[in-house]
Amino acid sequence: MNYIYMIILKFINILLKLAGKQGGNVLGKIAKKLNPNFLKFFKIDCPVIAVTATNGKTSTNNCIAYTLEMAGYKVISNKQGNNMETGIISTLLKNSTITGKIKADYITFEVDESYVPKIFKIFRLDTLVVLNFFRDQLDRNGEVETLILKINEFLKTYTGNLVLNNDDPNVARLGQANPQNKNIYYYSVDKYQYATKTMTDAGEGKFCPFCKTRLEYEYYQYSHIGKFKCPKCDYGNNEIYKKAENVDLKNKTFEIEGIKYNINENSIYTIYNYVAVQSIMSIYNIETEIVLKAFSQFALNNGRLEKIQIKGIPTTINLAKNPTGANVSLRLLKEDEEEKELLFVLNDNIADGFDVSWIWDINFDKLSENKVTRIITAGTRYYDIAIRIKTSGFDPNKIIPCPDLEKAVKELYKTTTKKYVIANYTALQPIRKELLKYK
Amino acid sequence: MQELKILYLYPDILELYGDYGNIQVLQYRMEKRGIKCIIDKYSIGDEQPNFLEYDIVFAGGGADNEQSILAEDLVKYKENIKEAVQNGVFFLLICGAYQLFGKYYKGVEGNIIEGLDIFPYYTEAITDRKKRCIGNIVLEVELESNKKTKVIGFENHGGQTYNSLSPFGKVLYGNGNKFGDDKEGFFLGNVIATYLHGPLLSKNPELSDYIIKYCLDRKYNQNTELKQLEDTFEQQCRTQLLEKFLKKA
Repeated sequence: MNYIYMIILKFINILLKLAGKQGGNVLGKIAKKLNPNFLKFFKIDCPVIAVTATNGKTSTNNCIAYTLEMAGYKVISNKQGNNMETGIISTLLKNSTITGKIKADYITFEVDESYVPKIFKIFRLDTLVVLNFFRDQLDRNGEVETLILKINEFLKTYTGNLVLNNDDPNVARLGQANPQNKNIYYYSVDKYQYATKTMTDAGEGKFCPFCKTRLEYEYYQYSHIGKFKCPKCDYGNNEIYKKAENVDLKNKTFEIEGIKYNINENSIYTIYNYVAVQSIMSIYNIETEIVLKAFSQFALNNGRLEKIQIKGIPTTINLAKNPTGANVSLRLLKEDEEEKELLFVLNDNIADGFDVSWIWDINFDKLSENKVTRIITAGTRYYDIAIRIKTSGFDPNKIIPCPDLEKAVKELYKTTTKKYVIANYTALQPIRKELLKYK
Repeated sequence: MQELKILYLYPDILELYGDYGNIQVLQYRMEKRGIKCIIDKYSIGDEQPNFLEYDIVFAGGGADNEQSILAEDLVKYKENIKEAVQNGVFFLLICGAYQLFGKYYKGVEGNIIEGLDIFPYYTEAITDRKKRCIGNIVLEVELESNKKTKVIGFENHGGQTYNSLSPFGKVLYGNGNKFGDDKEGFFLGNVIATYLHGPLLSKNPELSDYIIKYCLDRKYNQNTELKQLEDTFEQQCRTQLLEKFLKKA
């Protein structure tokens, strides 16, 4: 029966293509209707790598695929970010034969946090990377602890490679889910220039997940990411597989085992993603030369730390769908010593979550001290974000609420000051389109 | 220079929904008027505070599993808190804190977390974990007699609160104390206990000023005339959201 479904789905795919549609989830949705266990139908004989996290899934997954492709492998991946079950089925369908065979050297997926157990209970998984867990759209996802417990439960019987961020207490704990699993790889990033003694932004994981004692931090890199340890049960003290050292954001370099890597981004959180990718490449014995080259050339350019020139004015666009995402974006802006203007686009559509309270967890302090000269707010909740910024002490006369995106962009480019654009989930692509139109 | 002292309870635990914004709004509105705002924080392990020394006591909402740790700690101050409430200290209690000041909270598994039992209401979690009252909410409140105002916020709670004898407001849009309720929160002149995040005060300047005026009147034994502030963003935000939500109702 599945073969017949397969022919139908392939046919629909051709129709979608003719109609100029990507069909990111559509095929998967139809497939699931036809057979709820459609995932089982695929025959795979290559390694499957999956990335999950609150922030950084798309960038990391794309960088993994990019590096493997540079090594000459055929890679199948949901690069567009369709990371729920239907998106993953769609990606597989497009790349499989009628008999469900997938011809590839590697499959790499980004997977929504809540779908990890669902998908990999039935689908092959060789390596799982977990980058971080932050509070994110609480009205949609619920508390972050619930998500972690679900993944932890799944990992109790998982014996594949597990690549974990040792600087996130919410993530490193997963290494203890299955004591029989010897394939745990912890990665870390050494203290960077702007690390702090105390937590400056909202964060999770204040207590030890094992003995409930308050965790002690040597330093915080950003949010609750940093060098922590439980004073009572020593949780956090793991052997590190790969560690980034001598992080130099200005020159966009870092070192792993004495080898200097060049990248195209200058944010601490992306360094974490790169160390995760490097760990995977090491597990799969990809030559360092190739990784070096891939890292130096990789750039996602879809609104994740994307740098463009608009009418000759340098502009950085970054996605921020939760407090940590916004805080790392603002950190970047504060670390930039030049004068700049900010456009913040805030939507409250279904995919964003209806609750915009999270903007009060964003650290807008000291914007004018850090040479932000003007702020434009846009999106469906443009007044909410204007009030938030005003209350942080920024001069309200320099805040311009502008509901219409086209007008907001026009307003933004009235001056020639450098620009930063921060947008949440459903706001990102529309504002990016408007910006590119203005180019 | 006039000053008001705020006691901020469990800032590291009850901090899930941006409720700290309420304190930022109060501070902003006080300082714009030349009123000094002192914020003291108290959490587990800190020296015992004297609630009577404060003008405002604030606590927000937190994660479910941390609420029980906190309840044990808070109950140590029950008598002191009770006295402060009777003395007229202003209490602003959001979500989890709202629940903790009632008789008890009954969890999904039937476990009982004893509340401070200062107010007559009690809360029971709905047994289906997936069911929560989530969404934007608009209330009509009467802060002073015959002076009605609309309050805008966001609710996200599984607990259903019963026996709130003097609710904070009438629900115009959203759920309220329970699914489909027409009442929300609990109100005494000096106590606002509510499920509304947002943060609550960010979109309700009138409510913020009610609290500030109440505290100044009490502390300095006067009838304070608060200076009007520039609230264009707030007023336009309210117009936009009220139209959006109440059209749906």
